[in-house]
Amino acid sequence: MIQTKPNDSHKELHDEKSLKGTLFSVGVLAAVIVVMWVTVFWIYMDRV
Amino acid sequence: MEQTLRETIRNNPKKILGVNPNDAKVSLSYLTVAFVSLLIGGILGMLQGLERAGLIQLPSWLNYYQVLTAHGLLLLVVFTATFTIGYQYANLSHSFGGLLSKVRKLAWIGFALMLIGVVMVTVMIVLNEASVLYTFYPPLAAHPIFYIGLVFVVLGIWACCFGVFINYRYWRKNHPGQTTPILAFFAMGVFILWFFASIGVTIEVFTLIPWSMGLVETTNVMVGRTLFWWFGHTLVNIWYLVATSAWYVIVPKIIGGRHFSEKLIRLVIILLVILNIPGGFHHQIVDPGISQSVKFLHVFMSLSIAVPSLMTAFAMFFVLERTGRKLGGKGLLGWLKKLPWGDVRFLAPMIAMISFIPGGAGGIVNTSNQLNQVIHNTMWVVGHFHITVGVSVVLTFFGICYWLIPYLSKRQLTPKMNKIGVIQTYVWTVGMALMAGSMHIVGLLGDPRRTSDTTYGGHEIAVSWIPYEMVFAIGATLLLIGVIIQVYAVFNMMFFAPKGHTEFPVAEPEDDATPAPLWTERWGLWIVLLIAVISMAYVVPIVDMILNAPPGSPPIRTW
Repeated sequence: MIQTKPNDSHKELHDEKSLKGTLFSVGVLAAVIVVMWVTVFWIYMDRV
Repeated sequence: MEQTLRETIRNNPKKILGVNPNDAKVSLSYLTVAFVSLLIGGILGMLQGLERAGLIQLPSWLNYYQVLTAHGLLLLVVFTATFTIGYQYANLSHSFGGLLSKVRKLAWIGFALMLIGVVMVTVMIVLNEASVLYTFYPPLAAHPIFYIGLVFVVLGIWACCFGVFINYRYWRKNHPGQTTPILAFFAMGVFILWFFASIGVTIEVFTLIPWSMGLVETTNVMVGRTLFWWFGHTLVNIWYLVATSAWYVIVPKIIGGRHFSEKLIRLVIILLVILNIPGGFHHQIVDPGISQSVKFLHVFMSLSIAVPSLMTAFAMFFVLERTGRKLGGKGLLGWLKKLPWGDVRFLAPMIAMISFIPGGAGGIVNTSNQLNQVIHNTMWVVGHFHITVGVSVVLTFFGICYWLIPYLSKRQLTPKMNKIGVIQTYVWTVGMALMAGSMHIVGLLGDPRRTSDTTYGGHEIAVSWIPYEMVFAIGATLLLIGVIIQVYAVFNMMFFAPKGHTEFPVAEPEDDATPAPLWTERWGLWIVLLIAVISMAYVVPIVDMILNAPPGSPPIRTW
């Protein structure tokens, strides 16, 4: 019990500081930009 | 140590006394005009949607283009400008501990000038003397009173700009060595941008007045369009800057977090001010008479806005995740569940921020040369600005109302009103998703904008657009319901909600944050850079358009 407490608080602190959700969200944003751009460019190429 | 009452009153009078009633009157008056305009503009918007879908036929005394012009000007100019002034003046009053009395006078002068201008413009549209659409550039010609009304509107905005500059200068003089509160810094960015944005359109309007009076036979259409988009494109980013002030500073407080690095926030504001104006030519990317190199420069400048926008996206995700995790959120996206989705003050700006992802991505499509050939003058463009202005900006404005108006009227946001706000937000979101979503898709299929009837004699391609146009109509109807709920909420919170204290929610920096750097306050330098960038982008093409001018155009009335 005594040994697990510091590990738990360390894990909690690590979890509080984690930014993996931000990385994922920024990735989604980038994907939306790329997918939208490529889709319209594909339509352009199809029409020229 | 606890402060004595006297110290509290001296150091932070707002804590005891709340907002100065005279300052509150200024903001509430502007907000009243904003939401009356929203109601009228919203009704006109639904009429357009229904006519476009072929569900109604407007009477001969109120045609589609009249409705389109009034809808655009009432919402894109009057609603956004009056809301922005009401909100930014409240920010300034809160940040500086009250407005100077001469600044308040300037705000009232601005209010009167804008009202006169709006009445002149609206009367001309109602009389069918100015169906020139929101963009009002030549060769379409309105009655001279329409343009004179626009001059009054601009003068009103300038009065408010000067008020902000005077109050800022006064505060800086009395607080040497201190950085201005972040919301006041935002206000400076917004009004500097507004002042410089409106110079182009003012020159344009002054050339159109003698032309519309018949004193001058022709006008240079290219110059007119260019000067309009100097203003028109920047206006979009003025709204965006106003919305980001709430995203960066208000939203973190509402969710129980801290705001992101003030240095980054200030850098974003400065970049938006300096880089913004020279993006206008991407609206003219298919116009003849503009060299490829100038178009390339403007495309580059338009895309440069993506830099502060992406910085904002990162900063906001950071703040949301950090706060959500502090509240106990786990895993990759568990922090999202911990955010206060039932609080309209968070829900509305959060949906606004999410919608900025497809909105911004659509903007990159619009400004890319080849891609613009696909979507130019189609319903895609209408869908784009409804998702950016109509959701990213307007839903942020709606969210602001639920704390700003009770704060100004010394009333409270009740749980019932919060619930109404949440319902309004969902109605608005669904309505706009249906309308703007179908506009994007049908735009890619070629459906043109600014046209009342697109049946083209029953051609099979035109017929394929009809189902999407029906979806516009459903979306537009939901949006009018959303407008009615919002207007009810605004006036209820202004006059009928229970009396009480409402907090002005301004987030604090992190405990270990470094102080905001003083060099960011060098507005003189930022303005010099802004002027340099405008000169780089506009002097050569405008001189070229004047020296090698095509034959001018006489005034044209198509209605």
